[in-house]
Amino acid sequence: MKNIILLFFILSSTQLFAQTDSTITNQEEEDFSIYENATPTDGKNITFCNPKIFDLSPARFVSIAWDHQLPYEMNLSSQGNYAKGATIEKPNETANVNSTGGVRLNANIPVISSNKFLWQLGGNFWKTNYTFDDVIGPTNDASLIQNISKNGLTTFGLNSTVFKPLNEKQFLLAQFAADLSGNYALDNPQGLRFLRYSASILWGKRPNDRKQWAVGLTRTYRTGELNYVPILLFNWTAPSRKWGTEILFPARAHVRKNFNARSLLLGGYELDGQSYRIGGILTTSNKELELRRGELRFRMEYQRQISGFIWGSIQAGYRYNFSYRADNTEKDGSDFFRGFVGKQNYAMINELSGALYFNIGIHLVSP
Amino acid sequence: MKLTTKLFSLLALVMIFFAFTSNDEGDRLIGVWQPSSGKAKVKIEKIGTKYYGKIVWLKEPNDPTTQKSKVDKNNPDESMRNVPLKGYRMLKDFVYAGKEQWNEGTIYDPENGSTYSCEINMKDKNTLEIRGYIGVKALGRTDVWKRLELKTN
Repeated sequence: MKNIILLFFILSSTQLFAQTDSTITNQEEEDFSIYENATPTDGKNITFCNPKIFDLSPARFVSIAWDHQLPYEMNLSSQGNYAKGATIEKPNETANVNSTGGVRLNANIPVISSNKFLWQLGGNFWKTNYTFDDVIGPTNDASLIQNISKNGLTTFGLNSTVFKPLNEKQFLLAQFAADLSGNYALDNPQGLRFLRYSASILWGKRPNDRKQWAVGLTRTYRTGELNYVPILLFNWTAPSRKWGTEILFPARAHVRKNFNARSLLLGGYELDGQSYRIGGILTTSNKELELRRGELRFRMEYQRQISGFIWGSIQAGYRYNFSYRADNTEKDGSDFFRGFVGKQNYAMINELSGALYFNIGIHLVSP
Repeated sequence: MKLTTKLFSLLALVMIFFAFTSNDEGDRLIGVWQPSSGKAKVKIEKIGTKYYGKIVWLKEPNDPTTQKSKVDKNNPDESMRNVPLKGYRMLKDFVYAGKEQWNEGTIYDPENGSTYSCEINMKDKNTLEIRGYIGVKALGRTDVWKRLELKTN
């Protein structure tokens, strides 16, 4: 009987106490050298390169941010025909812009995420509202200030990203986005014929866990108007793992300072722009008016973990106006390519002074 | 034999049965496995009724900056930052759910000090699909692990 009871307690204790786990195992009990020559039982595992390198700022699944520009001056030309490089002789409208800003929502959800293929679908909603002081100029429907002060500027977009590792070192990266940008109200969006499409394709190498580079071509609206430009990706982390770069030239370039795995600082610039169809404005031709907003933002951004996979970011810097010009486009929504060599005239040449800005956000980050 | 003795004998037999036969199917997970990156080897073992995996080999065992054995320096718990990675239990608390699936566990990534929910699916006896995720399985990433065999020379 005693033996049975003893057996009972031995078995019970084996089951119960074995549940108590410690992350640290007793290394002295195990000879790790026996694993050095362990080889695959059934064919070698194929190694594919990872889309990330060490210590990059974390990719974001969901992001909610507030973007705000401090006061600046706005000078707008009248509608007409302006050659490239022309400047405003006498503004048709002027104003002090008290503030420019709004919410920026982004989501990127992986549809397929494995070591050999990554496909993400995403959406974004950006709102930019303006408040003006000391407006001088017409107050009729031909006024751009009147038109953008009603509903501000809105962008609603969808995007898709594919990362395909070709082997342990090489990869392909493709991105596609469709954005509906304009001064429309949310309850009365503009037609889908005004969608603007962007796309990029890159081929690159990831020689080690601290370096990744790629070259490619992009169709972009980051300067406000349609352009096709070569792109260079260069992400690098120093051997000390305290410093690095995050570059997708010409869209953005940052130097990174990693304080630890949970906080970092970025310093650099980003090109930020869209092409907005200005609905309801009275045009001098029987055409649409499209505002080509392109901003060059020099900035510092501090990111840190708040809790678990929730991170926060605060960004501050100087916004230089790259373009606030406008073009006449067709009623059917089609756009045209001017690029660096095109000679097409602008419908408006507008000037904004520079402004300080900040952006504060909270993000659900990816593994 | 008294009734109590019979009951204890029966109980002991039931315990022995469960101790040695339960979750046998789940024990197919036990072994040494390698993630697709090839940077580590992980030994999965059973402790009690659950499955755990510890790092037993690192392709780069030393920290390039200190030239000492790698430690868990990114762990959010400061008291763990000097713990060696070799021997570190990175897979924890997996329970066999049937149909070649183990769940309810977590996976730890020493590269960033994050712990993710995790599900393991055995595609064949030598291949695992390990999915780490945040909250819902859609927000995650799957890696393929291959079984290793130990050379006995």
